[in-house]
Amino acid sequence: MARIALVIGAIAAIVYPIPLQLQGTTYYQTVGFLVLVNAMLGVGWNVIGGWAGQFDFGPQVFFAVGAYTSALLYVKLGVDAWLGLPVAVAAAALICAVLTYPLTRLRGHYFAISTVAIWMIAQPIGATWEFIGAAQGLFIPVKPRTGVVASALSLQFSGPTKAMGYYYAALVLFAFTLALMAVVERSKLGYYFRAIRDDQEAAEGIGIDSRLYKVIARSITAAVFAAAGVLYAFWALSVFPEQVLELNWSTLPIMATVVGGIGRLWGPVLGAVILIPISQIMSTTLGTGPLAGRGIDLIVYGLIIIVIAAFRPTGLLSLPWSRWFRPGPATA
Amino acid sequence: MAPLLRVEASTKRFGGLAANRDISLAMEAGEIVGLIGPNGAGKTTLFNCVTGYMHPDDGRIVFDGRDITHTRPERICRLGVARTWQVVRAFGRMTALENVVCGALERTNRVVEARVRATELLEFTELRGKHDAPAATLTLADKKRLEIARALATRPKLLLLDEAMSGLTPIEAAAAVQLVRRIHEELKVTMCVVEHVMEVVMPLSHRVVVLDYGVKIADGTPQAIVRDEQVIRAYLGERRAAH
Repeated sequence: MARIALVIGAIAAIVYPIPLQLQGTTYYQTVGFLVLVNAMLGVGWNVIGGWAGQFDFGPQVFFAVGAYTSALLYVKLGVDAWLGLPVAVAAAALICAVLTYPLTRLRGHYFAISTVAIWMIAQPIGATWEFIGAAQGLFIPVKPRTGVVASALSLQFSGPTKAMGYYYAALVLFAFTLALMAVVERSKLGYYFRAIRDDQEAAEGIGIDSRLYKVIARSITAAVFAAAGVLYAFWALSVFPEQVLELNWSTLPIMATVVGGIGRLWGPVLGAVILIPISQIMSTTLGTGPLAGRGIDLIVYGLIIIVIAAFRPTGLLSLPWSRWFRPGPATA
Repeated sequence: MAPLLRVEASTKRFGGLAANRDISLAMEAGEIVGLIGPNGAGKTTLFNCVTGYMHPDDGRIVFDGRDITHTRPERICRLGVARTWQVVRAFGRMTALENVVCGALERTNRVVEARVRATELLEFTELRGKHDAPAATLTLADKKRLEIARALATRPKLLLLDEAMSGLTPIEAAAAVQLVRRIHEELKVTMCVVEHVMEVVMPLSHRVVVLDYGVKIADGTPQAIVRDEQVIRAYLGERRAAH
């Protein structure tokens, strides 16, 4: 049953932009792109927040580290996005490890606020550091590419196929992240993260170095955020502090994770598939026309999330799907 | 042969209160030592000091020839000390099997290997058929067994059981005593058993250590302990008088 859903979902994700492209629209490919980016971020956040159980409200710092690192490599040294990506990911994981180790002395709410504090410190640094363009940020020039292969290899799509190109780039990164996290979940790391979440003292008593594994968990999250940051930078063709350090880069994936099912591999994916299109529909319908500019779309969006959270606090993935979709008449 | 565990004049204070004062004791490999004393005598504090959750203010703790006075819990576990908890601390959202796998991963990085070991230990602790139950849904008796299985999975030389029988029905407690005997005989693990119920400890232990108000007041065979004047006065007095 789960396998059938997976195959159908995979086919749908691959085929999705094709009819839209034939109709000549690009808007929905961009919505798809945002769904995939947020799903990927959610899958990454699930490692520290869902498995290790540490509420991290500052992973957008590493989204920014990824975006800036790849943009700097491209602008200053002419390094292409895909080559810059592993460097950006490694830089984010390393910076995260150094910043997080002292924080692991803190627990619960205190850990959570300290992650917010680091984000608050990052903002003025991003806004004033000349090397990374300060408040203006960095602009990523599009080099002319001939053909789909050259565009894909440099992660620079332009023209009418731009939205579709980035959609597929996001799909590749998302699928790779999901596959990697599926491996992590079943590995020693996955067991140790969840042990720390359920009872840190007991975990230490069976030989788990809780501080080390919290650092590893958050660095994995940081690596995923950095990879998404690289993708976003080349999609947006610019990196500036207000954009890549925006709070939404953590709140949207966290909401997707919680709504879909925190601590479950596919939870953030389901959450993003539901929430991101709703937010887009809300802003294009309620956010325009006579009600525009009054935030009605955000209010309705917020209410929808509250209703889901109240109706199913453990996430939509925890609903008895297998019972509903069991082949043949339900028994027992 | 040097003792497996040596506690040398360990003192642990909480503010003005000395929960452990000048406690010295030694445990030989292969022993089952009962650690008894009324509530608040300092038994759990001593366990916490030996397992690295607390560090003594004075004195020294030596395990297997190494000074572990200021060592962290996860390091002490690696050296071969495992424990259970007075108030159970199972990983509630993980299944019974996953709980024990976490313990087994202390000695291997391969999850497949750890699962084999965990399955064996769930058999050993008579939790078969409960592999996939979330630990939070198990009964208290089963949770206590699960904690023992998880601790054993780390392949300890010394196992500290903190009130593994309290809160259990007489039948469950008898089964737990049986399990402790089997751990000693079949797995050859040295054990220290904390209980405040004397009836459980006496027939099980080779040697009994008695704490009272943070001080060691007796250390000897169960037969000697029940005849010890100080123990009778401090701990058995009322109970004896009632008979």
